Amino acid sequence: MSEIKKYDVCIIGGGITGTALGYFLCKLGKTSVAIFEKSYLSSGSTGRCAGGIRQQWSTRPNVRLAMRSVKLFERFKDDVGMDIEYRQGGYLVLSYNEQEAEQFERNVKMQREEGLNVEILTPKQVSEKYPYINTEGIIMATFCQTDGHANPHKAVIGYAQAIRKMGGDIYTHTEVKNVDVKNGRVTGIETSAGYFACDVVINASGPWSREVSRLFGVDLPTESYRHQILVTEPLENFFPMMAISFSGNFYMRQTQHGQFILGQGDKDEKPGINHNVTYKFEKELASKMVRIFPFLRDIRIIRHWSGMYNMSPDAQPIIGQSEKVKGYYYAVGYSGHGFMVAPAVGEALAETIVFGKALHTDISYLDLTRFEKMQIEKEKNVV
Amino acid sequence: MVRHIKALIVGSGPAGLTGAIAIAETLGGGKDVIIVDEGIEPGGQLPKQTHKFFGHEGFYASVRGFEIGNLLVKKVKSLGVEIIQQATVTGIYEDVITVYDRVNNIVNEYLADYLLIATGATEKFLAFKNNTLPGVYGAGAVQTLMNQYKVLPGQSFLIIGAGNIGLIVAYQLVQAGAVVKAIVEASSKVGGYAVHANKIKRLGVPILLKHTILEAIGSDKVRGAVVAEVDDAFRPIVGTEKEFVVDSICLAVGLQPNVELVAQTGAKLVYMPELGGHIPWRDENMRTTVQNVFVAGDLSGIEEATTAMIEGYIAGYNIAQEITGKSQEEKIQKMKDELSEFRRGPFSKKVRDGLKKLNIYFPAGGYREELQNNYGPKGKLRAVIECPQPIPCNPCETSCPTGAINVGGNINGIPHIDYEKCIGCGVCVTKCPGLAIFMVQENENYSIVGIPYELLPIPSKGDKVKLLDREGKYVADGEIDHVIPNNKGKTHIVYLKVPKGLEENVRSFSYFKKPEAFVCRCEELTREEIERTIDMGITDYEELRRVLRIGMGPCGGKTCRNLTLQILAEKTGSTISDIELGAYRPPTIPTPFEAVVKSVGERMERLEGKSDE
Repeated sequence: MSEIKKYDVCIIGGGITGTALGYFLCKLGKTSVAIFEKSYLSSGSTGRCAGGIRQQWSTRPNVRLAMRSVKLFERFKDDVGMDIEYRQGGYLVLSYNEQEAEQFERNVKMQREEGLNVEILTPKQVSEKYPYINTEGIIMATFCQTDGHANPHKAVIGYAQAIRKMGGDIYTHTEVKNVDVKNGRVTGIETSAGYFACDVVINASGPWSREVSRLFGVDLPTESYRHQILVTEPLENFFPMMAISFSGNFYMRQTQHGQFILGQGDKDEKPGINHNVTYKFEKELASKMVRIFPFLRDIRIIRHWSGMYNMSPDAQPIIGQSEKVKGYYYAVGYSGHGFMVAPAVGEALAETIVFGKALHTDISYLDLTRFEKMQIEKEKNVV
Repeated sequence: MVRHIKALIVGSGPAGLTGAIAIAETLGGGKDVIIVDEGIEPGGQLPKQTHKFFGHEGFYASVRGFEIGNLLVKKVKSLGVEIIQQATVTGIYEDVITVYDRVNNIVNEYLADYLLIATGATEKFLAFKNNTLPGVYGAGAVQTLMNQYKVLPGQSFLIIGAGNIGLIVAYQLVQAGAVVKAIVEASSKVGGYAVHANKIKRLGVPILLKHTILEAIGSDKVRGAVVAEVDDAFRPIVGTEKEFVVDSICLAVGLQPNVELVAQTGAKLVYMPELGGHIPWRDENMRTTVQNVFVAGDLSGIEEATTAMIEGYIAGYNIAQEITGKSQEEKIQKMKDELSEFRRGPFSKKVRDGLKKLNIYFPAGGYREELQNNYGPKGKLRAVIECPQPIPCNPCETSCPTGAINVGGNINGIPHIDYEKCIGCGVCVTKCPGLAIFMVQENENYSIVGIPYELLPIPSKGDKVKLLDREGKYVADGEIDHVIPNNKGKTHIVYLKVPKGLEENVRSFSYFKKPEAFVCRCEELTREEIERTIDMGITDYEELRRVLRIGMGPCGGKTCRNLTLQILAEKTGSTISDIELGAYRPPTIPTPFEAVVKSVGERMERLEGKSDE
C-alpha cells in the first residue's frame, strides 16, 4: 500500500473560482493545495461566460467587492503572468424602464460615494457617443469606463499555470465521489483518482454546487439555470464596451478577436443542468438586437452555446464556512457573475482560510446565514 | 413611345461621364441628357481599377481608378443626368435609337439631337492550343471578377502581355494573394511604363521578354502552360519550350475599339493600326463625319483614362455649344491644351502618328529627358526618385510641400529633386502612382530604406525580412525599422533597416517562408502552434479550442477537428477514441441575423418588461 496523499486544502472545481482561490492560497504560502476538476479546466460556467467585468451594482457591498476585483484584474498580467485580453472599455448600462431608471439614479449616487466614476447619459448623449446604437425606447443610461471584459478561459489557464509553478497540484478529469467527514470535521475526499486526506475542502463547483454540498451533508439553497449565448463572425474592432440592459434583457460585447458575443436571460427556463440550445432563443435575441444594433443585420452568427447560472435566492454569491461541518467552505451561487468577482473572492477566501479573516474585502455579508436571519437585499443588476 | 432628348451618351466610362458633365453643366442641368450603360454599375472600366492613376491632380492623378469613377458619377448624378444601367443600345436605326433595358426586359425607343458614343474597346484575343479551356481569361475578366465581384479566379497565374494592363493586373493579383508565375511578352521590351514593370519585378515576378505562349495544358481546365522563346519574326524557337504549373492564364494582349454602333450611324471608319485598328474618322473636336455624332475615349483610338476624360469634355462642350448656341470655345481650347501637353511624350508617339493621318497634329517634346545623377547628401533622410521614362505624370511635383521636386518642361518630364529643399517627409512616396519613389538614409551602423507598400498584411516594426533588389532577388537579411501607415491613400511607407552600403540595392522585401501546414484554416493555426500549446499542458480538445481559437472560425471545425484530435493523440499517447470530441454547436454554417429575424415573421419582440429577474 502506498502512503495516503495529503493536502492542506482541496478545492472542488477547476473554474475561475477554484483556480483564483488556489492561486491566492499559494501566494499566501499555502502551497499544499489541490484542485479537482471532473472534466477540463473551465469546462463548467467559466468557459461559457461572456467575460464581462462590471462594478455597477445596486448594493454597496457588491460594488466594493467588484471594485477590488477590478484592481486585481488590472494587475493580472503582471501578477499572474498571462495576457487575458483584459480591456477597460467600459460598461454601458441601458435602461428601458422608468422605475429602473430611478433606481439607477440612486445606484449611481451610491456608486459615486464608493469612489466609482459613473456617468449618467441621456438617450441623446448615447446616440452621439455611439451612433450605431438605436436609442428608441431608452430612458437613460449609465457608463463606467473602468468596467470592462477579459477572456475567462485564459484567466483560468493563467491561474492554473501560476498554481503549478508555486507548487500546487491540479487534477483534471478527476471527479470527487465522496467526502470524508469525521466528528463534524472534514478529513479527506474520495475521488476517481483515489483518496486524498485534507483539513479543508472548498466547494467551488458552480452549477453542481448543491449536489457537491450534499456530499458534506449540507444543503445549499442554490439552483442552476441554463443561459444561452451566441457569437458572430469577427469584425474590425469598433465597439469597446459591454452594452447591457436589465430591463431590455440583453448584453453584448466585441472580443479582442473582433467577434460579437451576445445573450439574454429567459424567465421561462426551468432549473436543472442543460447544455442544449434552442432556436427560440436565437430568434428572440436576433429580432431584438438588430433593432437596437442595426449593424448586426448583415453579420453572421457562427456559434451558439449555453452555460449555467448557479442561482441563489437573492442573486448574490454564497461564500463562507459551514457551521455544521468544520473545514467545509463554499463559494457558490454566483448567479451569473462569478467570473468578474473571482479575484476578489479568491483573495478574501484565501485570507479567511489562512488568517481566519478577510483582509482586503468584506465578504461576511455573503455568508449562508443571511438566509436564516432573513437579511436579504436582492441584487437587481442581473441579466 | 419614343422619348426625345437633346443628348444621348453611350457608355459611362471616363469619356462618357465627362462628356455628360460638360453638356449638363452648360445646359444648366441634365434633364435632357441620358447615359446608357451596359454594366451593373457606372464607370466603365474605372470600378475595376484599384491602382492610382497617372496624370496631374486636376484629372485625379494619385487617386485610385474606382474612386475616380465614384467622383465622376456623383458629379453626373448631381447635375441631374439619368444613367440607365444594364441597358444596351441595340441599334441606331434610321427612325429611332433602340435601348434594350435588361432589368425590365423591354426595348425603349429614343430620338436624340446629339449622340456621344463612348463605347470604349474590346480585348484582343490570342490563338494558341487549348485556349478555350476554363481558366483562360482576358485581363478585363480577371479584373471584373477580382476587383468588382471580389472573387479571385485562380491561385497561380501566367500573364501574357507586358503592356500596362498586363503589368497592372499582375500587381493586383499579387495584392489579392495570388501567385503570378511570370509575365510573358513577345516583343523585346516591356510595352507598359517602366515604373509599372519595376513594381512587379521587385515583388519577384519575372518578365520573360521575347517569349510567347504555345499551349495551355489540361483537359478539363487549365493545369499549366507551355511557353517558348521567339525569334525576331515572332516565331517560336524549337527547343526553348518550358512549362509552368498554373491554374489560370490571363491574356493582356491589347485592345480594339468598339466601332459597331458608330458604324451604324453612317460615320466613316478608317483603319489605323496606331490607334488600335478600325476607328471612326473624326476631327479635333471629336466630331465624326456625321454632323451630330461625336466620339471620345478608346473608341476614337486606344489610349488611357486621362485623355479619355479630356476627349469627353471636348466632345461634350462642342455638343453643348451647338445645343445652346453659346460659344464654349474657351473651355474647349483649355481642354485641347491639356490634351496637347499630355500627348507630348514618347508613349504617345503612336497616337500622334495615327492622328496625323486624320490631319490632327500634336507636337512632341519640350520636357526634360535627362535622369538625375545625384542621389543627394549621404546621411540625410531623403527621397530618391526612380522614374526613368518621360510619362505624363506629376503628382510628385505638385504634392511636395517644399517645392523640392519638378518634372521639368511639361508634365512628361523626368522628375528631379532639389536636395537643398527636400525635408524627407515622404509625401511624394505615398503620392507617386508608379510607386517609384523611395526614402534613403545612411546611418553609422546601418542604412534606412523606405519603400512604398500596398500589400497586406502591413508589416510590423521589428519583423525579420529578406531584403530584395529591384529584380526581387535576395540581397541580405534585414528587419522592419518602422512603418508609416497611410490609411487614406493606402500606400504605406515601410522603412527597412538594411546593412550599410546596400541602400542603393534594396528596393523590396519579403517574409521568410515558414513551413506552414495550417491545421485550422479559418484561424490560420499551424501544427507547430498546436503542438506547442499541448506541451504547455493543454491536453483537451475543448481547452485547445479556447486557448487557440482552433475550430472557432466560420467553418466550425469541419476541417480541423479531426486533425487536432490526431495531433492530440500523437502527442499524449492516447488513442483518438479516448479523447473527448468536444461539442458540435449550431449553427453549422454562419447564418446572418437578418435570416434569423425573418424566420420570426411579423412579430417583433417588445423591449420593455423582458427582464428575467
